[in-house]
Amino acid sequence: MNSEDQVLTSETSMHTEGRRTNRPSSAGRRLQQDRAARRAFSVMTFVPLFLIVVIAIALIVRSWPIIQAGHSISETIFGVIWKPEAGSFGFWPFIMGTVWVTVVGVLLAVPPCLLVALYLGEYAHATTRSVAKPILDLLAAIPPVVYGVWGLLAIVPFVQKFAAPLSKRYLGTIPMFQVRQPTGFTILAGGIVLAVMIAPLIISVVYEILAAVPNDLRHASLAVGATRWQTIRSVVLPRVLPGIVAAVVLGASRALGETIAVMMVVGNVPKVPTSIFDAAYPLPALIANNYGDMMSIPLYDAALLSAALVLLLVILFFNVLSTLVLQRVLRRKW
Amino acid sequence: MRKNRWERRHLVETFVKFFMMASFVVVAAALGLILWTVIARGLPSLTWSMITQTPKGGYYMGKEGGVLNAIIGSLYLATGATILALIFGLPIALHLNTYLGNSSWGEYVRLSLDVLWGIPSIVYGAFGFALMLSLGMRASLLAGIIVLALLELPVMVRAMDEVIRLMPKELEQAAFALGSTKFEVAVRVVTRQMLPGIVTAVLLAFGRGIGDAAVVLFTAGYTDRITTSLMRPTASLPLAVFFQLATPYKEVQERGYASALILTIIVLIISLGSRWISGRLNRYTVK
Amino acid sequence: MRKTSLLVLSILTAASLLLSACGSAATEEPAASASQASASDNLSGTITVSGAFALYPMMTVWADEFTKLHPNVQFDVQGGGAGKGMTDTLAGAVDIGMISRSIKPEEEAKGAFWVPVAKDAVFPLVSESNPALADLKAKGISQDMFKKIFITGEVKTWGDVVGKPEVKDEIHVYTRSDSAGAADQWSLYSGGKVQADIQGIGVNGEPALVDTVAKDPDGIGFSNLNSVFDITSGKLVSGVVVPPIDINGNGKADPNEYYQTKDEAVKVIADGTYPSPPARFENLATKGKPAGLTLAFIQWILNDGQKLLNQAGYVPLTADQQAEALAKLK
Repeated sequence: MNSEDQVLTSETSMHTEGRRTNRPSSAGRRLQQDRAARRAFSVMTFVPLFLIVVIAIALIVRSWPIIQAGHSISETIFGVIWKPEAGSFGFWPFIMGTVWVTVVGVLLAVPPCLLVALYLGEYAHATTRSVAKPILDLLAAIPPVVYGVWGLLAIVPFVQKFAAPLSKRYLGTIPMFQVRQPTGFTILAGGIVLAVMIAPLIISVVYEILAAVPNDLRHASLAVGATRWQTIRSVVLPRVLPGIVAAVVLGASRALGETIAVMMVVGNVPKVPTSIFDAAYPLPALIANNYGDMMSIPLYDAALLSAALVLLLVILFFNVLSTLVLQRVLRRKW
Repeated sequence: MRKNRWERRHLVETFVKFFMMASFVVVAAALGLILWTVIARGLPSLTWSMITQTPKGGYYMGKEGGVLNAIIGSLYLATGATILALIFGLPIALHLNTYLGNSSWGEYVRLSLDVLWGIPSIVYGAFGFALMLSLGMRASLLAGIIVLALLELPVMVRAMDEVIRLMPKELEQAAFALGSTKFEVAVRVVTRQMLPGIVTAVLLAFGRGIGDAAVVLFTAGYTDRITTSLMRPTASLPLAVFFQLATPYKEVQERGYASALILTIIVLIISLGSRWISGRLNRYTVK
Repeated sequence: MRKTSLLVLSILTAASLLLSACGSAATEEPAASASQASASDNLSGTITVSGAFALYPMMTVWADEFTKLHPNVQFDVQGGGAGKGMTDTLAGAVDIGMISRSIKPEEEAKGAFWVPVAKDAVFPLVSESNPALADLKAKGISQDMFKKIFITGEVKTWGDVVGKPEVKDEIHVYTRSDSAGAADQWSLYSGGKVQADIQGIGVNGEPALVDTVAKDPDGIGFSNLNSVFDITSGKLVSGVVVPPIDINGNGKADPNEYYQTKDEAVKVIADGTYPSPPARFENLATKGKPAGLTLAFIQWILNDGQKLLNQAGYVPLTADQQAEALAKLK
């Protein structure tokens, strides 16, 4: 309150015609303050822009030794052998591990999340929405380590005692579902944990997209007698399809990078997976697990940092694409 | 209207509605299941000494001690990082809205913030590590704070930006009409009006920082003592959980679950607390 | 507005100060009670340690005991693996590295100085519900048989192991997928050279490997002493059995080849009956010969510190080995 009063008095005294104030510098000082602040703030604001570039450069610089030592990029990315002591750094098993876990996670997450977002956006009462928001916020706030613990305690045994035997019995012939190891540390376990982790993100983004569709369209459709679902299916969804795809891609890029929770349930065995009941070794887990050994084997640190670089580039690509699409979908009123 | 309620499209509608509600229940149940599992497994081992003692010799083989080092370490890390992020984040959010508005520069900045938000913490950790190598720094509390601040910054600014955009224009215009500079409007009017949202954003970033393991793994090291200096390594709760779960001793694993419970409780307090605080702070805003 | 945020800030600050006061009070106590000891004691400073997880729990015990004797000494102990320990030591980032394997010549060339401080061993494991368990217990498994199971894969069924072709259950070999000293040691014993020579399904982490073997009746694996025997009771961890190793090659399991409790196992490691590998020395490494506080600590470990090893589940050095190590330090 006091500060506002001060603004008033010095201002009014300044604007009074013809009257000299005894503190002519107060206005000048405030303008100086404003200019200085503007400069400082605008410098700060370009920090985010620079940060991405700085991160990429730092990782490139630190991974360069691998290329210098004669490993070509394609040899590193597509190589299947990972034996750092022998100088072999093939990332392919880890890339495939990441892909499998992410795909399973996204496939498990998207259908229910779409339905929930549609429900919240199109059908639910305000009370349901006000209950849903804290639930989603809490799910998003739970630390990855805790998700990992939950995965260890609940999901891994579930896969081991339920899912794997069921699959053995009924789906045993399909290669993708073959059970070859007795533990629950599987891609499926990682996928389930990931699905729950990315759910709040997908739900909230899709919800926002739906909210951006003008209500007039919905009303028009309902007015001619369509059911809510028909309205959604034929009027709302087609308009927001690019947004939904972008939301899914955003969720996938989040899943790609999730390290700790997945690492605790996915088995960490460096082989190219052929079934969701195999263990896998995603790229982020590789980096985190071998952090300790990094400096004792030559080129190991460059290899791991180049893995981080690969991760960064892929995620950047997905992120920029989906964010651009989402920005257009959400900001324009169609 | 519903001439024939068995008409196919009405059936489809009911069918779809059922699946939607079922999905909602599943998602809500997932939260319940997670909390239930962590509480049920962690509570039995959550003793008073877990919270008030640091690990004594033999702790990792099942003897006495607790995770106070990790609790304090995590609080130091997250508090330091959040303050550092706030110093940069609030000006950025204010600047975005008062000076840049919807200009194309503003769009670029927002895009890069969204992209930064999407970068996984392991990449931040690896980057921090690469930086530390080049600078010859060792794992320390300070390194952890700096890299965590980098991680928290996009989260905080994004959340603040969402809130500040909703600033009622009339208030700003009234202040301008009275001759305030943009800086004064930003600091005195916007900040006060949007305080609940800003506090929520800060606490959101804090919660993200305290729960993160990938960054502290690379930058903050680990120790069994409570850190007293910025240049020494510090323990953190996520790593405490992780390391305790990796030992072969059942007792220590159970304590890992208890530590996970401690972390969850802290995050819950912050999440629910932020709601309460913004509720209380709403009294200082103009409606 | 300011009042509420001030209030919140002050509560948070007060809470964290309170907690750290609790914490420092807790660490202050031993200092207060130990201050009667050694008025002439002038050892003070900080010792930083990092390295193998295998030695980590023991190091924290040693650190705690040493601090009780010399209250002005502080310790900073980290895990991170033997590789990290060596790197940190050579880089001067820590005073002592915990190395759960032998030191390589390249590392010595870079200035690594080391002494052994404890002995440890890797044991083979099978499930309690193994189909051929009775025969295994009677006959034992020879080193050559281990080679055929783990390295070459020639022996594929449990029947072939015990000489009863009618037992057709396939052997499931499990090994470590993460870089592990235990796997290196077991490979060396079984006729391979490095961890990767073991052909088996990789499991990440020792607890997981033990767990997997326990759950698979046809499984066979290996792990360190401390993961096989429960630390307090000394009995076998539930679900697994250590199949006798036919050390003398006589085709049957002699009493000193079959271990059901930790004490039995420790005895054969200490007296040298158990082969080495897979028994091994746990080493501490420093950059160059240690001096001052670090030297005092290591010497203490080689003297009084040895008494603490047994209850922790490690094997102390023999008197000869101790003397040898102490001589090396001079």
